[in-house]
Amino acid sequence: MSVSVIELNQLTKAYGSARGISNLSFTVEQGEIFGFIGPNGAGKSTTIRTLLGLIKPTSGSAAIFGKDTVQHGTEIRKEIGYLPSEVFYYDHMKVKDLLNYSASFYKKDCRSRIKELADSMNLDLNKRINDLSLGNKKKVGIIQGLLHEPKLIILDEPTSGLDPLMQQTFFELLEQENKKGATILFSSHILSEVQRLCDRVAIIKEGKLVKLEKMSVLKADSYKRIKLETTAPIPLHYFQLSGVHELEVKGSMIQFLYKGNLNVITAKLAAIEINNLWLEEPDLEEIFMHYYEREG
Amino acid sequence: MNIFRRELKATRKSLLIWCIGIIVMIISGMGKYEGMSVSATGQSMNELVANMPKSLQVILGIGTFDLSKASGYYGVLFLYLLMMATIHAAMLGASMISKEERDKTAEFLLVKPVSRSFVLTAKLLAALVNVMVVGLVMWISSVVIVNNYSHGEYVNGDIALMMAGMFILQLLFLMIGAMIAANSRHAKRAVSWSTAILLVTFMLALGIDLSGKLDLLAYVTPFKYFEAKNVMYGGGLSKVSVGLSVAIIGICSVLTYVGYNRRDLNM
Repeated sequence: MSVSVIELNQLTKAYGSARGISNLSFTVEQGEIFGFIGPNGAGKSTTIRTLLGLIKPTSGSAAIFGKDTVQHGTEIRKEIGYLPSEVFYYDHMKVKDLLNYSASFYKKDCRSRIKELADSMNLDLNKRINDLSLGNKKKVGIIQGLLHEPKLIILDEPTSGLDPLMQQTFFELLEQENKKGATILFSSHILSEVQRLCDRVAIIKEGKLVKLEKMSVLKADSYKRIKLETTAPIPLHYFQLSGVHELEVKGSMIQFLYKGNLNVITAKLAAIEINNLWLEEPDLEEIFMHYYEREG
Repeated sequence: MNIFRRELKATRKSLLIWCIGIIVMIISGMGKYEGMSVSATGQSMNELVANMPKSLQVILGIGTFDLSKASGYYGVLFLYLLMMATIHAAMLGASMISKEERDKTAEFLLVKPVSRSFVLTAKLLAALVNVMVVGLVMWISSVVIVNNYSHGEYVNGDIALMMAGMFILQLLFLMIGAMIAANSRHAKRAVSWSTAILLVTFMLALGIDLSGKLDLLAYVTPFKYFEAKNVMYGGGLSKVSVGLSVAIIGICSVLTYVGYNRRDLNM
């Protein structure tokens, strides 16, 4: 039986205003790369900070490695590596000193690992933190989060500030860690990166879980983007059937999103004169927008 | 140990500056005594002070001191030294706790496998070392410099007693600062609040001297606990004051730990 690495049970964090999360429940299984998706302000960081014990839940609970995050926070955090969305470190420290300081909290010798990670990310360990660019600070954050080879890696908007090449290296690092057995919680509002890495995603909006789905299902099973050009204009109502969304007609150009029995829609298409036809997998962005529009 | 060491390193520079400031303060303060005792006889100084309005005496902190003696002059200076040491302690106590949130490093330090109490203890110990260094520098430089002007008068006993009182007040204000920072949701305001409390209690102490009444209020302001004029001339440290200080330090410590463990950190 697989053990849940993270288990949220009706987790709620209420702030005075609308921010926060309410009754969030989902589990992240051992060895998964789990996407945690939502726009800014949806409650991703709030959820993660609650898991890490930086803030306390208003109600509900969460467990990591089967242990309650409030009761056993110190013990749990031994095996967590965390990269915050904005990296801030002690400005006057050298990168080397900061990383050694970070390593000193874990009962492991991390020196060779620091060196290895710094080499692969091309980071100069002798610079001072306040001399680093945002991208380089992010690299320090990445190394800091991975140096003790944690069993659970929590990444909050990890790619901001990294150039595409470095992003590539970073993703390879994550895949390596994942192969070695690490579970990864990856929060993002950039969907393409999640699409590539993640096995499952949870989509949240305004603090509530909107959708929890396997990436493959989300991508394949759900929606098709259909675009066609007809010889003669078609009346708008021709495609107004269940499963069709975002119908758009511009003269002879028609496009819409479709979810449902493909035979129904192909029969419809076969009955009209078509000049051209495009059938596309919608990217996550579109699926995502769609969830938001419908739920909102 | 790692947090403790790191905090000692981080506070090294400011500690050095405070220590230099203290030494300069004592040298320049006692230097004026030398200047005065040369130009005027000590006795005429006492007469001059006696003729001053009471309010001016209070504000200058002169009161009942015998200014013809180095010890009396040091007693006046002590108020300002005490002010320095307690401001240092209050600011240190508050900033030691609040800086992780102010500098947004809380998301680094507090996600390490350490409890908040552990972090607090390490930081408070580092602050304690800082405060002790300030106290020691104060003590040693006072003894050396005052003896230089004392013309054989025995001053070391009184200085030691005053330093003991100062150390208690340093601890007291350190813990008030820490307590405020541990419970404050606004990291940036913790230091201001701590120094504000210090200044208000200081003004209150002046107010009590000015009015000559309000004796009960003397328990409210720590600056009334170990005044030089009471500690010197064989007065020693009052048991009530020591007891009260220990109680306040104890309460602040409890509130520091409880508050910091309970609240959400600001990021």
